[in-house]
Amino acid sequence: MTAPAGPRDGVEITVGYRGLGGMPDRLEARAVEPAEGDAPPWDANTPLRQVGGDHDRVDGLAKASGRAKYTSDVNLPGLLQAAILRAPIARGKLVQLELDAARAMPGIAAVVALKNVGSRVRFVGDAIAAVAGADLHRVRDALAAIRADYEVEPHNVDWLRGEDAPLLDADGEIAEPWPEAVALEGALALAATTHGATYRTEVQTHSSLEPHGATARWQGEDLEVWSSTQATFGVRGELAQALKGRGLRVGAVTVHAEYVGGGFGSKFGAGVEGLACCLLAHAAKAPVKLMLDRFEEHTTAGNRPAALLQLRGGLDAEGRLIAWDVRSYGGCGFNVERGDGGGNVAVPDYYTRAAKTRRKHTDLPADTDPARAMRAPGHPQGWFGAELFLDELAHKAGIDPLELRLRNDSQTMRQDQWRFGAERFGWAAARARPNAPDARFRRGVGLASARWSQLGSAGRPPHGVQCRIHRDGSVEVRSGAQDIGTGLKTVLALIAAEELGIDPKLVQAFTGHTGDPSGPGSGGSTTTPSLSPAVRHAAFLARQQLAGFVATHLGADAAEIDCRDGTVGTRTQRLAWAEACKLIGPNPIDVRGQRFPNYGGKPFSASVCGCQFAEVEVDTWTGQVRVLRMLAVQDCGLVIAKKLAESQVLGAMLQGISFALHEQRIMDRQSGRMLNGDFLRYKILGSADVPELDCVLMTVHNGHSSTPAAGLGEPPAVAAPAAVATAVFHALGEPVRHLPITPDKVLAALARRA
Amino acid sequence: MQPFTYVLPENLSQADAAARQPDTVLKGGGIDLVDRMKERLQTPARVVSLLPLRAELGGIAVEADGGVRLGALATLAELERHPALATPALAGLREAAASTASPQLRNRATVAGNLLQFTRCWYVRSEAFRCVHGGRGPTCLAVTGDNRYHAVMGYSDCVRVHPSNLAPPLLALDAEYTTVLEGKTRRRKLAELFPSDPRGQAPEHTLAAGEIVTALHVPPQPASARTSYAESREKQSFDWATTACAVRVVLDGGVIEAATVVLGAVAPVPLPRPAARLMLGQKPSAALFQKVADAAFTGALPLSQNGYKVTVGKAIVREALERATR
Repeated sequence: MTAPAGPRDGVEITVGYRGLGGMPDRLEARAVEPAEGDAPPWDANTPLRQVGGDHDRVDGLAKASGRAKYTSDVNLPGLLQAAILRAPIARGKLVQLELDAARAMPGIAAVVALKNVGSRVRFVGDAIAAVAGADLHRVRDALAAIRADYEVEPHNVDWLRGEDAPLLDADGEIAEPWPEAVALEGALALAATTHGATYRTEVQTHSSLEPHGATARWQGEDLEVWSSTQATFGVRGELAQALKGRGLRVGAVTVHAEYVGGGFGSKFGAGVEGLACCLLAHAAKAPVKLMLDRFEEHTTAGNRPAALLQLRGGLDAEGRLIAWDVRSYGGCGFNVERGDGGGNVAVPDYYTRAAKTRRKHTDLPADTDPARAMRAPGHPQGWFGAELFLDELAHKAGIDPLELRLRNDSQTMRQDQWRFGAERFGWAAARARPNAPDARFRRGVGLASARWSQLGSAGRPPHGVQCRIHRDGSVEVRSGAQDIGTGLKTVLALIAAEELGIDPKLVQAFTGHTGDPSGPGSGGSTTTPSLSPAVRHAAFLARQQLAGFVATHLGADAAEIDCRDGTVGTRTQRLAWAEACKLIGPNPIDVRGQRFPNYGGKPFSASVCGCQFAEVEVDTWTGQVRVLRMLAVQDCGLVIAKKLAESQVLGAMLQGISFALHEQRIMDRQSGRMLNGDFLRYKILGSADVPELDCVLMTVHNGHSSTPAAGLGEPPAVAAPAAVATAVFHALGEPVRHLPITPDKVLAALARRA
Repeated sequence: MQPFTYVLPENLSQADAAARQPDTVLKGGGIDLVDRMKERLQTPARVVSLLPLRAELGGIAVEADGGVRLGALATLAELERHPALATPALAGLREAAASTASPQLRNRATVAGNLLQFTRCWYVRSEAFRCVHGGRGPTCLAVTGDNRYHAVMGYSDCVRVHPSNLAPPLLALDAEYTTVLEGKTRRRKLAELFPSDPRGQAPEHTLAAGEIVTALHVPPQPASARTSYAESREKQSFDWATTACAVRVVLDGGVIEAATVVLGAVAPVPLPRPAARLMLGQKPSAALFQKVADAAFTGALPLSQNGYKVTVGKAIVREALERATR
């Protein structure tokens, strides 16, 4: 370990990374200034025993065995079930709402209106009223007995058919001229190779395995809520605010989210379903559970907006990008406030440092449910378009796609990743292997980059983590933030075990209860980088207290005491961990660590870099695409729990393949209703479609905090769809510019080639 | 919810009597029916489960004449691995069973249930839509709506497709089915199970109310008979076929003596295609199979979004023929 933090102006640490395979190390010394009282920084030379190791998920067995209780598993004495009446029209006004018949039905305990008469209805599935009763059958009967009348207005659920939508030609290319851009067009005119094309993606629904929903119980003035959420404290504040009229204060609300079955960006709020649940429980004077069904999940609870983007650009004779023009459109439902509908499309900026560039984005409305942030919002869509565009440009210029990236990628770390990845994947050989002209099955390989930026933050006021060491030698660490499946519990346990020099099995981690210290909402890949330094600090403080007890016992100086390999003591006198803990009194050591701000100065890398490679096989007879294998090379700062980090990357690749090949919301134009709001017709990648997946994680010391993890939830989701699409282009010799790449589109591409 | 009576008959005659009560449905594995009941698409007063009759209505056996009897309640998983089906002549049946749904469902799904399942049309299967199917509305909504998975031929006023994987190979094998109704047993050609004019108002099958399918019979096959089954889909895991084809050929000295081609998932009923005759007296070849594939889709009239199914369907016919003659 490095020396403890000295005076504020100065700890020298080693930042950077060790080269993968034969790649060079890129390590450098850097002076950082840890906050007073913070744990000293772990750097590239710190020997770590637990952190970065191949540990199992600490709650894996509980999840696999069903012992872990999710919101949908919560059962309470006298629990009522509830459901929501949904609007059957896409646009109009609620003109009548009669609830009394439903209230009078047997087994019905409460009925509440969720929309006032006179309010607008914005999409099929807009919430109208909610019912709680003894069981879901009776609740559904009561929903059917509610009379709701609407003034129906003409609707449009196709965002590309609205009046502000760009004109598309028969091939799906934007048919409108580019607005003038003198400098950019000057560069284009000088380019040796130019290209322009339009790319499109469809709406992907979040549809987490655990649906949205809550269980609520009032006890007097207090409200206890189990919520499937990505933001326990956000839900708590939102409910307190919404129920202020009932005299509710924030402190009287407890939110539980001990286990959450996925969120992907769709679960930041209590939602209309969470609020309805609390209102029903209040009215019924009984606990109520309200979970959405799968159709509601697909149609009302979040989606990644559709995207349309047009690119044009040019290469000079050396294959350098000198012009880059992007205009994009997002289809994000009814709540489009121009420029802020959540449909933004991001494209990589590291290829175009030397190019004249321009970007313009417009969100377009439709009478559909609003988009929500979804795993790397805007990125998979934009990277798909941009990376496939680059491959088409490279193809025109006769340059290998990898070579084009190497010539233009301004990020050194990804340059290393490209080279390492290409070697490991066997890029050159796979790229050179020809397909017989008459072969039914054609293979192809593709690649794409990834970028994200998330080094965590302190929070305002700072996030905290509680650490207790008990007399029996057990340790508990607690964060009120939620583990949405990404592995926060394991992260907390491993870091505490590392700091305390003990077996992680001695540490119990608890998450998702608002009685515990506050933490961030899990969005933007913030949770691990924000909370790792906080749990480290908590364990660091607890260790100091334990050192005090041991010093007194041994008659030594507390500064000489350290904790390692399950022992505590000085260099000459050591106690086993269990013996040392017996020195603790009846009260446990009980400290709260905090997340200090990131160190000043520039981190080694503010970007989280990655790249992915894919090999596909296309059946030219049926148009079906299969991904055969994929490789991800991914930086994630300090790797805390290797297996779980790899699992994040593998999951992102699968989700990306699914987005590239299968997922799309299909709307019926006439009724405005989703046609495939189930997992039979809304197709997702299944187990028989899973390719060989390879993942290489890179630990990168960015030198930004004591425990320098970086966000990993989103970065690997950025590259995967683009890698699949570029591989399909290689296989066919013809791009498919519209995701998902379904058989009809593949056959159309083949017909164009022929 | 509408309460229903759940009947567990002890023998076939009890089932026969129960099935003839008004507003009654029969349940095998329940894969399709229970879904539809949960979605309130079907709200019968009585549900007669046939599962207690597994001893009578289940199982797979070689019959005295060398044919194979498939009990109506035999599961798709049994079809996949039963030794009686382990012949090249019945390969298509095995392959069709194995490509259905997921292993979990195949352990539960029955032969009769697969043949008699309800259409998967997303307009028909939603309480929100009122289409011509079953007389719920005036027109077919798929014709003007989203029809990417719908029929390309053989339709009239309803463009649903028949989703059964087992129907094409069983038809190709000239199978028969036995039913019981009012104590009377009847055995007919499988083709008679499907309506000849599959209109929206007409049921998916020709069974009388209360008629119980008890078994399927695959006639004995000559040693040189071969069948195969191929289907197109969008993914490898659990997915419905976008097109399917079962073929049966009998080769004599390298020459095709008999041939049958049956298409699935392209029309409201499984469709035997006369194009198979083009192969009689011919030697297998890629060119011949292409010709048959093209002819099999003669008269196809794809809708606004499903033209790809004709291209894909032809490829699937070729694939099935190549595998059967390999």
